Amino acid sequence: MTKRYAMVCSSNQNRSMEAHFVLKREGFDVASYGTGAHVKLPGPSIREPNVYEFGTPYKHMFDELRRKDPELYKRNGILPMLKRNLGVKTAPQRWQDNAADGVFDVVITFEEKVFDMVMEDLNSRDHILMKPVLVINLEVKDNHEEAATGGRLTLVLCQELEATENWVDKIDEIIFNFERQHRRKLVYSISFY
Amino acid sequence: MVAIMSAKLREKVAGFLAAAKSARSLNSKLQSLQHLKQIFSDDADTDLLSEFLPALLEFHSDSSSPVRKLVIEIVGGVGLKHVEFLPDIVPVLIAALQDSTPAVARQSGTCGMDLFRSTLVKIAIQGIYSSELDDSLKLSWVWMLKFKDEMYSLAFKPGSDGRRLVALKFVAATILLYTPDPSGSSEPPSNHSYEEKFDGFNMAWLRGGHPVLNVGDSSMEASKSLGLLLDQLRYSKGKSLNNSAMIVLINSLSEIARKRPALYGRIMPVLLALDPSSSANKGMHVLGAHYPLKNAFFACLKCSHPGAAPWRDRLVGALREMRAGDMAEEALHELCQVNGNVGYKNKAPDEEEKPSLDPVDAMDTDIRRKRSGTPDASDLAAEDDISGKRARQTPEASIDQCKSSSSAVSTSRGDGDNGPVQQLVSMFAALVAQGEKAVGSLQILISSISADLLAEVVMANMRHLPSVRPKDEELELDKELHTTYGSKDSQFKQLSSFLRDILSPSSPSPILDARPSASNNLENPKLEEQEVMTPIYNDVGGPLITETAVVTVPTDIPISSSEGVPSVNDVSLAIAPEVPDIGFPENGIPGLESSVHSYGLPETLAVSSVVGTDLEDASQDQAISLGRSSQERIPSISTDRSEELSPKAVCTDATSINSSTATSLRLPSQLVLPKMSAPVISLDGEQMDNIQKMSFMRIVEAYKHIAVAGGSQVRFSLLAYLGVALPLDVDPWKMVETHVLSDYMSHQGHELTLRVLYKLFGEAEANADFLYSTNATSVYEMFLLKVAETLRDAFPASDKSLSRLLGEVPYLPKSILKLLECLCCPGNNDKDEKAVHSGDRVTQGLSTVWSLILLRPPTRDVCLKIALQSAVHHLEEVRMKAIRLVANKLYPISSLTQNIEDYAKEMLISVTSTDKTNAVGLNLESQKEHLNASVSEGTVPKDVSSDAHQLNTCESSSLSSVSEMQRCMSLYFALCTKKHSLFREVFVVYNSMSDVARQAVHGQIPILVRTIGTSSQLLEIISDPPTGSVNLLMQVLQTLTDGTVPSPELISTIRKLYDSNLKDAQILIPVLPFLPKHEVLLLFPHLVNLPLDKFQGVITRTLQGSSQSSPVLTPGEVLIAIHKVDPERDGIPLKKVTDACNACFGQGQIFTQQVLAEVLNQLVEQIPLPMLFMRTVLQTIGAYPSLVDFIMNILSRLVSKQIWKYPKLWVGFLRCALMTKPQSFGVLLQLPPPQLENAMNKTPALKAPLVAHASQPNIQPTLPRSVLVVLGIVSDPQAASPTEKTQPQSPTAEAQPSDATAEAQPSGATEEAQPPSADGSGSEAEKSKETSTVSNM
Repeated sequence: MTKRYAMVCSSNQNRSMEAHFVLKREGFDVASYGTGAHVKLPGPSIREPNVYEFGTPYKHMFDELRRKDPELYKRNGILPMLKRNLGVKTAPQRWQDNAADGVFDVVITFEEKVFDMVMEDLNSRDHILMKPVLVINLEVKDNHEEAATGGRLTLVLCQELEATENWVDKIDEIIFNFERQHRRKLVYSISFY
Repeated sequence: MVAIMSAKLREKVAGFLAAAKSARSLNSKLQSLQHLKQIFSDDADTDLLSEFLPALLEFHSDSSSPVRKLVIEIVGGVGLKHVEFLPDIVPVLIAALQDSTPAVARQSGTCGMDLFRSTLVKIAIQGIYSSELDDSLKLSWVWMLKFKDEMYSLAFKPGSDGRRLVALKFVAATILLYTPDPSGSSEPPSNHSYEEKFDGFNMAWLRGGHPVLNVGDSSMEASKSLGLLLDQLRYSKGKSLNNSAMIVLINSLSEIARKRPALYGRIMPVLLALDPSSSANKGMHVLGAHYPLKNAFFACLKCSHPGAAPWRDRLVGALREMRAGDMAEEALHELCQVNGNVGYKNKAPDEEEKPSLDPVDAMDTDIRRKRSGTPDASDLAAEDDISGKRARQTPEASIDQCKSSSSAVSTSRGDGDNGPVQQLVSMFAALVAQGEKAVGSLQILISSISADLLAEVVMANMRHLPSVRPKDEELELDKELHTTYGSKDSQFKQLSSFLRDILSPSSPSPILDARPSASNNLENPKLEEQEVMTPIYNDVGGPLITETAVVTVPTDIPISSSEGVPSVNDVSLAIAPEVPDIGFPENGIPGLESSVHSYGLPETLAVSSVVGTDLEDASQDQAISLGRSSQERIPSISTDRSEELSPKAVCTDATSINSSTATSLRLPSQLVLPKMSAPVISLDGEQMDNIQKMSFMRIVEAYKHIAVAGGSQVRFSLLAYLGVALPLDVDPWKMVETHVLSDYMSHQGHELTLRVLYKLFGEAEANADFLYSTNATSVYEMFLLKVAETLRDAFPASDKSLSRLLGEVPYLPKSILKLLECLCCPGNNDKDEKAVHSGDRVTQGLSTVWSLILLRPPTRDVCLKIALQSAVHHLEEVRMKAIRLVANKLYPISSLTQNIEDYAKEMLISVTSTDKTNAVGLNLESQKEHLNASVSEGTVPKDVSSDAHQLNTCESSSLSSVSEMQRCMSLYFALCTKKHSLFREVFVVYNSMSDVARQAVHGQIPILVRTIGTSSQLLEIISDPPTGSVNLLMQVLQTLTDGTVPSPELISTIRKLYDSNLKDAQILIPVLPFLPKHEVLLLFPHLVNLPLDKFQGVITRTLQGSSQSSPVLTPGEVLIAIHKVDPERDGIPLKKVTDACNACFGQGQIFTQQVLAEVLNQLVEQIPLPMLFMRTVLQTIGAYPSLVDFIMNILSRLVSKQIWKYPKLWVGFLRCALMTKPQSFGVLLQLPPPQLENAMNKTPALKAPLVAHASQPNIQPTLPRSVLVVLGIVSDPQAASPTEKTQPQSPTAEAQPSDATAEAQPSGATEEAQPPSADGSGSEAEKSKETSTVSNM
């Protein structure tokens, strides 16, 4: 009874992709999304981020940034990150447009704002299937190091969830144990498909 | 055709069913069922189903849960399409609800939900269009209602498994279905096809007259269900509800509330009562419910239905409450209450302004949001955090934050981060509120907090400057202002006119007049900040303290207490536009002594003149820039302020009118104007950038003056904070950088740089935002790098600024480490950096590295690496410096010792490996390097150390590669001097070294060993040297004994070594002079056995002695010792002995003829005679012909010793006689006749001359007759006559043949021995003659 997982952050670049990468490597059925309006990557300055539409292939971004300023983007870790990403999937996807991707059992978000947006989006959809979906927020800072840590923690959490046949009955216990073990606060909610 | 098809299908279904039934394994069973599912959902007709459904249903009692679940799924799908089967299906579903496996039960619930909904829709629509309903449909509906009841009982039964969630959701969904949707169409769809889709079903379609359904009844039921749901929340207190059920309940209820506003009023009280902070129920569920509740509140807040409106303020209040617990906020709250202010602190400027109007405000903002449109709002939220920074400053954003109080990161950031700051702000406010009497405490407060905190307070204040001010208050306040400051007005005018007089040259026309005013206004933010700082600044200033402290008060007020003390607040706002006019803030200050003016003026003048020249643009532009800049800096000064200003402007003068238009110009960029009547000038990005840039530049410029005036310390933090507040692409850092670097010393560049870096670091660390922290990090790196590079290039190498800076910055990025590396290892990384590097730079780099290692433990490894790399640098000079650092300073640090050792060892070992594998390549490379090296030696001769001399010593052979070897080894050798035991490794490695490497080692050994001296570790090494290291050992010993007296320990160690392990006598050579004589003599045979060159060393050593003592042996003793060596007894080849002799003879200056004579004299007395005696005699006569008389004496003594009895010597004797003829004739004639005869027989060449000699008249008579007979001078008539003479000879004669035979054998030995002697150093010609004669015999 494998579950389907979704990793969600705002741009579907760093945190969600790190987790996606890790979980995929471990054989999970996983997808990843961003909730932002656009995909934004750091640019030469704060006012000039590189903005892409969701659906723009990582490869495209990679090539473009490498053309623009290889030194800068290598130094701030963007190019390596994109390289990692393009090995995981083709392009960033937007959570709000994922209705066609089917039903997830567990959604992990990495920022409270994203969590709220996912919840809002799920609640605004029509609940036809009556299939519960667990949404967990694990707060992860949006930088490379933290994302790596977040990816590891997510893996642990998902393994825990995967091991329980029915999370609905065990979720409080799982969350409690996880929080105690990793000293991380989790927030979860339940919605329906 | 159809029949065939259906028959086929039937067969197939039957087959699958049978397979599923008979299947053993779970998988195959599931597979068969999957096929069935496919068929049933695709194209099963009623007949087929009615035939097989019962069989299928049987599976619901299957033992394995996946099968049960799948069956439920299949029949659920069937039920959706074929309502008529529901009476069969639903009982199964109901049964499944109680299934022991929750997943099956959930599946059943889910299917049931779908069935219920679709049946309801079908029955409703059928009922709308016809008065009669299918019986089957009716029956199905009855069953569905049964199912519903079942679900209800499940939902409201205590317990907490997964079934309950579905059941609760079911109830909620039923409520939604049973109640009319106000937003949906109330007209039913016109065609029947709608049956298939039930999403948009609306109860409002039914308008009575439906045979089964009744709107009223269903609403009643829904209402009842809702009551039940609410009761769950209301009375459960967490006992019967677990977290997930709680969440589902809350989510469902909020959904209902949103979708059915009619029920809003029923649901809200319950939800609000749940609010953890407002109610007393502190169960564990409260924690879990917090977030869903929050979300629910937000969702509800967004509901636009009029029925929801009355609840909004309660919702807002509840949301606000959820943030309770924040200490800072509480404190703030209290403080504000003290100030007589009620309401919410610190939320948004407008709220602060009119707290009593808060609910209205909430509405207000809500309306605003609506105006901007929901997508817009969500976009704002979606807008990631780039805008976060600035959004924080704009009122719109803060309103939004307030609305969405607990949602946003921004709020938590705003409150959590600034907790202490906010406290401080309110503290300032409280103090300021007390008026002048609190000046003292204010001052103490300001001086007692850190500059960073102070800066933060200032920044926080800027944010809280009010943007909106209530109009009704304004007039009143203005009045108040006038009354308060009426008395001062004259003073203002006086001063302003005075100032204008001074400024008039630069402002000839009234239009241009705006220029200084604008400029001053630009300064305004800065001045305000300055003033907060002034007290400390004045501490330096002395007598001005009190006055300027007073200055601080009013300007502080607007910043810190905008909400707390409204009257003072307004005063300050009013002052602001006046300031430009007057030029100095003090003018606007109440209770200011006039003496202050004189102090204030010069600085103002300076500032404004600078400004004036800077701004040569159109005054309009400036006005814009003014507006923009102050908006950036003091974002909350906005709309209403300008309105407030205009009346004020009337009572001042023309310039302030200008400034007031300027302020109105900034309105548009604010975007939150309630009045759109103000002129709108929208600035594009570039303009904004320019304006921001200019304003920041001004501030930075002003710092130059501050620096002159002193007290800039406190202000540095502020600059850093300002820089962070500016958008990055304005690039404030570039300006700060320029400022810092333009005069590092007098601008206190170090402090400022540190402040900036710490602030940037803090930003990067604290910020969760990817974009922002990445950028802050890169700015940090660039800034530091730039400063460091400039420090490196601009300052003399002896300057410590760089090292100090690097020691104190928050962290060192890679680029800095690279810079250090370039400094320490010139030429390693970039070839083009040339002139910059001199020896001093290297020293600078190294000392920086050293201090970093000491001061920054985390960077130790990296810095150590740099130092080590430098220590194997190809440039001698660099290397020696680095080695000194590493060996003397770093190596003693215990945590580094091992690393250094390992590295040095690695390098040492690399010598053995590299020079074997790619010696050629190395040579090429090192030749190049050597070129460099020699150049550098030439240029910096003073730095060339002792190593350079070694370099010279071994330059005979492939010098470049030797230097390459030394490059790798010197570090290790340097370490050896610190830790002698390391030396052993050199011995170990030595064996596998190439010749070049050995040469390098030998070059270094003398220095090293001399430094080490005879330490115990060294003795230990000596006592047990690794194999193959004898040469090295020898050199070590030589060095140790060179010029000094070796310690007894050393000598005994060497002796022991010789005695035990190493039978190689050469190791004894260095200590020979220090051994007792008898030992040396004892050892002599072994010494003789050494190779010739070594033996020569022995001779030198033994003869020269040490400086303190006399030589161990005299030359004579040496020679005698050599002669005493018995080849057979001592097992030493005769050749070695002869070589030894030859060696002695080779050194004529030592082995003089006197020595030889002495030696021969002694030797001739020995019994038996030394084997080589005659050889030595021969050599002596060969070397010193003048000794011939002495030799004759020796020969005659030999005759008396019956030399002929030593066959070997006899041969030599005869040869000697031959050589020394005619002098030897006398001796020959002394021989007894038989021997004489023998002699003549052996050397026929002697006979004739001898006979001739003997025949001489003066000699012949002296000879006995027998001799003459032998000579043949006289015939032997009486051969037997002198019996007394022949008798003694007879034994000899008899012995003769035996002698001859005996002689034949040793002659072989001499033969062996002789030929090599030819290459000895003696007189070759003679020896070869000897050889030939001997072998001829």
